[in-house]
Amino acid sequence: MATDVVMPQMGESIAEGTVVKWLKKPGDKVERDEPLLEISTDKVDAEIPSPAAGTLSEILAQEGQTVTVNSVIARIAVEGEAAAPSAPAPAPPPKPEPAPAPTPEPQAPAPPPQPRNPETPQPTQHPSTPAPEHPIDDLEERRRTKSSPLVRKIAKENDVDISQIKGSGISGRVTKNDILDFLQQPPAEQPVAAAAAPAPKAPAMQFAAGESTRIEPLSVMRKKIAQHMVISKQTSAHVTTVFEVDFTQIDKLRRQHKDNYASRGVKLTYMPFIVQAVIAGLREFPVLNASMDENNILYHRDLNIGIAVALDWGLIVPVLKQADEKNTFGLARSINDLGERARTKKLSPDEVQGGTFTITNPGIYGGLFGTPIINQPQVAILGVGGVKKRPVVVETKDGDFIAIRSMCYLALTFDHRLVDGAVADQFMARVRQLIESGQFTM
Amino acid sequence: MPETTYIDAITQAMTEEMARDERVFLIGEDVGVYGGAFKTSYGLIDRYGPERVIDTPISEIAIIGAASGAAIMGMRPIAEMQFIDFITCGYDMLVNFAAVSRYLFGRACPIVVRGPAGGGTHGGPYHSLNPEAMFMNRPGLKIVAPATAYDAKGLLKAAIRDDDPVLYIEHKYLYRRIKDEVPAEDYIVSLGKAAIRRKGKDLTIITWGAMLYVALEAAADLEKDGVSAEVIDLRSIIPFDEEAILESVAKTNRVIILHEAPLTGGAGAEFAARIAEKAFDYLDAPIKRVAALDVPTPYSPPLEAFALPNKDKVLAAARELLVY
Amino acid sequence: METHGLTRDQLLDIEYYLRLTRSLEERVVALFRQAKVIGGLYRSLGQEGESVAAAYALDYKQGDVVQPLIRNVGSILVAGAKPADILRQYMAKGNSPTRGRELNIHFGNPQTDGFIGQISMLGDMIPVMAGITLAGRMQKKKLVGLAFIGDGGSSTGAFWEGMNFATVQRLPLVVIIEDNGYAYSTPTWKQSAVRTLADKAYGFGCAGETVDGNDVLAVYEATKRAVERARGGGGVTLLEVKTFRIKGHAEHDNQAYVPKELIEEWKAKDPVVRFERLLLENGFATQDDITAIEQRVKREIDAATDEAEGSPMPTPSDAALGLFAGDGYWDA
Repeated sequence: MATDVVMPQMGESIAEGTVVKWLKKPGDKVERDEPLLEISTDKVDAEIPSPAAGTLSEILAQEGQTVTVNSVIARIAVEGEAAAPSAPAPAPPPKPEPAPAPTPEPQAPAPPPQPRNPETPQPTQHPSTPAPEHPIDDLEERRRTKSSPLVRKIAKENDVDISQIKGSGISGRVTKNDILDFLQQPPAEQPVAAAAAPAPKAPAMQFAAGESTRIEPLSVMRKKIAQHMVISKQTSAHVTTVFEVDFTQIDKLRRQHKDNYASRGVKLTYMPFIVQAVIAGLREFPVLNASMDENNILYHRDLNIGIAVALDWGLIVPVLKQADEKNTFGLARSINDLGERARTKKLSPDEVQGGTFTITNPGIYGGLFGTPIINQPQVAILGVGGVKKRPVVVETKDGDFIAIRSMCYLALTFDHRLVDGAVADQFMARVRQLIESGQFTM
Repeated sequence: MPETTYIDAITQAMTEEMARDERVFLIGEDVGVYGGAFKTSYGLIDRYGPERVIDTPISEIAIIGAASGAAIMGMRPIAEMQFIDFITCGYDMLVNFAAVSRYLFGRACPIVVRGPAGGGTHGGPYHSLNPEAMFMNRPGLKIVAPATAYDAKGLLKAAIRDDDPVLYIEHKYLYRRIKDEVPAEDYIVSLGKAAIRRKGKDLTIITWGAMLYVALEAAADLEKDGVSAEVIDLRSIIPFDEEAILESVAKTNRVIILHEAPLTGGAGAEFAARIAEKAFDYLDAPIKRVAALDVPTPYSPPLEAFALPNKDKVLAAARELLVY
Repeated sequence: METHGLTRDQLLDIEYYLRLTRSLEERVVALFRQAKVIGGLYRSLGQEGESVAAAYALDYKQGDVVQPLIRNVGSILVAGAKPADILRQYMAKGNSPTRGRELNIHFGNPQTDGFIGQISMLGDMIPVMAGITLAGRMQKKKLVGLAFIGDGGSSTGAFWEGMNFATVQRLPLVVIIEDNGYAYSTPTWKQSAVRTLADKAYGFGCAGETVDGNDVLAVYEATKRAVERARGGGGVTLLEVKTFRIKGHAEHDNQAYVPKELIEEWKAKDPVVRFERLLLENGFATQDDITAIEQRVKREIDAATDEAEGSPMPTPSDAALGLFAGDGYWDA
């Protein structure tokens, strides 16, 4: 009797998958849930666990082959009856439970019905009521679509459909790592940084003799980025408004305090000041801290500011939760810390979810300003251009003069479905006003 | 710092507390002249005399009852159960008089009831009990179960100084097998605080008593497979360190509760329910308990070994959690 | 008449306590029938004599402690319990000595009150009293404990272990064992095969004696001797008092299982009436004295009733407090 191994469907929109690598060859013994092969679909590459214990008898899809979803890609010969225990190695007596507890326990049938593991003898499971087949299917379905509380929470906060994610857990369940990996790919960030970041030291492109076009398959991450950029553009009515802001006062504060901060282990950048100005703006114009659905505006109580961090392999947006509760020092320290941990991949799930507004830094490589793409489901994103010294006209009561000031273009992309230009501009005016005033407690 | 065995740490605690506070006395069977069945009270009667180290008839009801009566008169008795199993003979006095003394009558009853518990020594069903669950549900009694010599001494001192009744569960398997550094100076280990014995990020194992060492062995094995397990030694069952438990689960998202007492209605059930209630959103896999079979502890070694938890059972549970 | 060292004032004092006990219980019954008393009600009708007399033989200034069972209300009144407190306990008030957490006479702190009320598990108080007297000895006090146990309670393991321990330790404990005929519906001859309850003393190795429980002076004298023996280091006495339970086990029990003649026989030996007759016939008291005592008792009980009835019920959320030392609930 053989069990089919099929190419799984990881989401409604997925129609096919590619076999990347077989981890077992025909003739190999496999345990139930033991990784059988690696596939690649629209999502992250993942391992497919064996649906049964037995021997891999034949492989029907070769490495590199792309097949439609649900096609049979291999077969496993299952020995003995279907309920053969998964015989995990050193198990002592595989005797079924030592029969104490004849008292009928009204057990919640949570433990997986079949022969999980004789290693964990549970005499209170009564063998007399084998779990019916129907619930087995439901259980697997639940695992795939509902996963675990933790994963559901992360999915909800990031507005992600779990069934869209490839799962590496049992029954194809999406695990914490699966969804975190999924989220670490930039959902909808600015193309500017994307252009700058990946392949920093781009090696010279090599072409084979006679080859005028080199075809390189898109990495799953790249596909993801492409998809999300487009979805964001299709969802929001993107408009960008640009303000020129004088950062001279901030420069002064940085000069005055940076050594003190450094002695306390914190690097003082422009960001803590920008964050505080943004917070002041969001307080006055809460619609910019909101989300929307077909019928409602969802105002968010918390001011969770995402700060985009460029990584070697892409971009990630750690979130400063309740950023309004921190002072300049606290913000500077948190920003340093989140950036550091983002670069060393030490962020926790909590720290990449729940953002209500994003700040990004397209000016990092010298550009004047950018027109960032909104990070769904937010309604605004602030792009910070480069801070440069420029000659500007300063009006005084004694006349107009030319002065050298540190100037910066702040570009706010907003969703015109919800936010009108006047509101966006008033918000920016407030932000500019606070930054130019230099009124910050250090 | 000198290395002291777990049992010597207990003796030291009693010796020191009896010197420090003349209200402290020891009462039990064979505790005086004989120095205790396991020699835990060796030397005490020579130092403090028979009025403070009292050899009693075989009467757990009288031992616990008289200790409780003395306690409500302001004394600080340590009532020894020769094997903790015999506490069931005095269960009534402990739960109906001592544990309720403050709540019902406003009378402090600061007794410590202590005795050797636990299996793994082929003692058979009447010398292997792990009693914590039997008392968890009778409010008014604090319960502690140290796993290290340091904690054995610190917790016993804290228990003696506590103004409420404390059940102090010492594990006989650890008596002479466990040694660690125990300061000569006075110190206590506060009730209600867990100790993180091993930090990790992939999986949490919550345990106490002799099972701590099973957990640590399992964690070492898991390390070889690149899995980092966090091991929490609760050491105090009532009150227990809920914060430490929830913090760890929030970090690792997978948890095993390991205890030597049988599974059904064991203390682990309480912690599992607490985690499910308060850390639901942090669970990436079901909460697992590894515990003894629901049977009396059998005598013959292969039977006892099969019935009790061991490293392999913990590893199997861990592996299930990791692939979930 | 032999008064065993008691002065006239003391004899009248005893009469006061006898009347206080009986009248207080009658008041509790009345309140019970007015639904003001919550829970069960147990009377000591016919047994007031031995409860008061035995407790009167203690010296509370030396820290002596009496431990009643449910039919020994008289003993704690002698030791200093206030009728208003007892009524508050019966009425489940929030300012009862146990703040509403325990009922009837289950209250008392041996360090300060001179008495300690029982818990419901019969026999348990014997080991506890052993412990209390042990502590007294360790604290270099000369205190003596007086414990009450019934014919039924003396069958329990706790009684046996407590008596054995107290005896072998030579603790200063006097145990009054009351044979009042019945333990609920079980007559004493079904409870135990001993010739008489005092014979259980042989099982422990302590002194044993039997006395007419309805003879106030006889009980006083025997208890006094036992107390002196204890205080002098002579150890435990098991003092049996023979008496009878005139009413049923509790207010809800009509004791149909007791032969009517037996009840009538014992009614004629009522200890309070007997004692009053003794005082009157021997010139220790006049009828006016007795009447004055009765009036005083009535005034005091009325005042106590008003006080108790005017007391508040407990705050419901207090139920969560006072389990451990930490919350300071009992410090206030």
